[in-house]
Amino acid sequence: MRAVVKDGVGVFHPQGFLDGNSSNALLSIEDIDSTIKSNADMVLVSLKKVVFFNRNGLDTFIKMFQKVRSANHIVVGFCDYDKKKYDTIMKFYKDEIMFSLFKTQEIAMLFASNFKKESKNVLLYSEDKSQRAAMAIELHDNGHNPIVAQSKEEFDEKAKNEAAYDIIIEDTFLGQMGQKVAARVTGNAIIYTLSSFLDAEIGNTFNIAYHNNSLNVGFRLFIFDAYKVVSMNVHALNFFSKLASSAAEYNATICFVGMTFEKTPIAFKETLEDSGIMFFEQMDDILGDKELLKELGASSAAVTKNKRVLNKQIVTETPNFIDATVATIEMMTNSEAKKEAAKVDKITIAEKDGKIASSIGFYGDIDGMVILVFPIGIAKKACELLIGEETDDKELILDTLAELVNIVGGKVKTLLSDEDISVDITLPRTYPDIESLLEIAQDKKGVQVDLNFNNDKFLFFLTR
Amino acid sequence: MITKEKIDAYIEKIPPAPDALKQTVALLKQEELSKAAKAAEQDPALSSYLKQLINRPIYGFKHEVENISQIFGILGVSRSQQTVYSYMTSLLSPKEWKLFKLNQNSFYNLQAELNAKWQKILKHLDINDKEIESAIALLPASIIVSEALFCEKIDDVNLLRSVDEIDLNTILQRLCKMDLFDIAARIAEKWEMDEKITQIVQAASGVKPSEDETIDKLGKWMHLLLFYTLSQPSNIEAGLNDFIDFQIDYVMDIYDDFAQLMEIQ
Repeated sequence: MRAVVKDGVGVFHPQGFLDGNSSNALLSIEDIDSTIKSNADMVLVSLKKVVFFNRNGLDTFIKMFQKVRSANHIVVGFCDYDKKKYDTIMKFYKDEIMFSLFKTQEIAMLFASNFKKESKNVLLYSEDKSQRAAMAIELHDNGHNPIVAQSKEEFDEKAKNEAAYDIIIEDTFLGQMGQKVAARVTGNAIIYTLSSFLDAEIGNTFNIAYHNNSLNVGFRLFIFDAYKVVSMNVHALNFFSKLASSAAEYNATICFVGMTFEKTPIAFKETLEDSGIMFFEQMDDILGDKELLKELGASSAAVTKNKRVLNKQIVTETPNFIDATVATIEMMTNSEAKKEAAKVDKITIAEKDGKIASSIGFYGDIDGMVILVFPIGIAKKACELLIGEETDDKELILDTLAELVNIVGGKVKTLLSDEDISVDITLPRTYPDIESLLEIAQDKKGVQVDLNFNNDKFLFFLTR
Repeated sequence: MITKEKIDAYIEKIPPAPDALKQTVALLKQEELSKAAKAAEQDPALSSYLKQLINRPIYGFKHEVENISQIFGILGVSRSQQTVYSYMTSLLSPKEWKLFKLNQNSFYNLQAELNAKWQKILKHLDINDKEIESAIALLPASIIVSEALFCEKIDDVNLLRSVDEIDLNTILQRLCKMDLFDIAARIAEKWEMDEKITQIVQAASGVKPSEDETIDKLGKWMHLLLFYTLSQPSNIEAGLNDFIDFQIDYVMDIYDDFAQLMEIQ
């Protein structure tokens, strides 16, 4: 079957039942080749007439997506589905969604780059904060006026007034975003969730690579949400003791919240406390106490044991990183970037005042981290776009910055995967001032690129 | 433009022509199984067809069934009648398919699959009516007629298909003012089937629902069954999947029941 290409968007219309066999019969190698050659800006598979699909059925189309995207670097995904189909796809692919999901073709068109005929008022909501931000950015860039609901309640309330919006977006997902992880981030703390029985399995289920990279990026406070833990055995005890001692090398703090010791020997608590882990009864005890949060998360100069050096592969991939960054910032600020200077050395920041920074780590086939130093003006502009109003609330600006860096990370991941380099990204880390950034970054050697956005100096630093 | 007369001419070609076949159909309608078997034996082509069909894997018989009386005995009145209609359809089947990539074998498989699954559905719905059981034979028959009509205007068909995302059934409608289901209804008339069969087939189009609740329900099941069958790889490769426009909303209320019956996971 061939995609019907209209206004630069190619759409496949399979119908009936999609399983592994039928999908393979529907989509031949020639069909995929002709899709690549069609030069569409977006390739979609409409699920409107599909009454049944299973994972194998979708996989055939997803393989096509991968080929089309790595050849043409365009948006690919499914469209025209109901809530049930959306939930099913989300369940099938969970954290590995590399394609987009648009509830309707009309919504997809808003994200197509050539669709700039008229500005639309768009109400949007996604449970995922990063998704909300990414959608708002893309829509804004395409000349629309996105109104972002921050909660489901707000969305439902606003959606009642249908006439106020040209299009309402929900159950939609932009696939170029980074992967989801079993952790939430609050301020500069990472929260992991634990449940049921903690035994030797924890060594397999806990994503240690992610954790180590978060340490490397500069996260210093790790909170284990242990409300749902029933008990812990000696293997898990050893695991957490080791985790605590490796955290100590970075001056990082590990906390347990909500852990009860009804079915776990109280002696374990003492052992864990001896290795440096802190216990709190309520999440609010930490998160509600800004002073404590600051104290625990403050990154005093890290004693980085294994100092990693820049390697050739990272330097080779630098253009990808810069492209992803520049594209995102240009979108956010409606300004054009000029490259001023590039060098390989330790980070140098001439003017330290009035700047904030953010970093994000990546690991996998290659590893390292990207640091972005923003004049507060650019950060505020970006913030305006994402929340729809001006603000001087520094915390909010830092939060927005984290989202922005998350988007950069997601883009980098996508660009690299097109070259068959697979990486995962950590959560973004923010720094309210340059001093706190230098505490972790001053000794690192990396590629520094100075960029100029409408006379605002902006710094990009890629290191390991 | 293909005229109505031309379509009728195609349908006219559909038997029953040979006496033995005519007799078999008449006797089956009177539920005279053994007499019908004797009549069928007179027609070597029909006998051979019955043996071939009954021994296809979809019917699931362990041992080869050869005797016609035995075959009718196993099938019972309704399924025997349905099978004889399938044979009548096969008589019309072209030697070489041009638009749809089918051949005798794959067409028989399509027939056998539709027959067996329709049987299963009617059993599930607790409907015991030999006319309704035979109704499913109309779909393959109308696919054959459509193929013949398309071949008349193959260039127009290809042109229309290249410019827009347009299903063959719509093209058929534009070329002949008749769609697949209208053709099926004409064949039903030709085969002197009950009026309700015409209505079921029309409802199965998914765009002409019936006011009669039972007929509408059967139309839904037939529409979904047609799609289920046309989603099989061999039928997709044959180009049958995009023959008609699937009306997903029409069948949604019976989908779960259907999926359970067909064990779709």
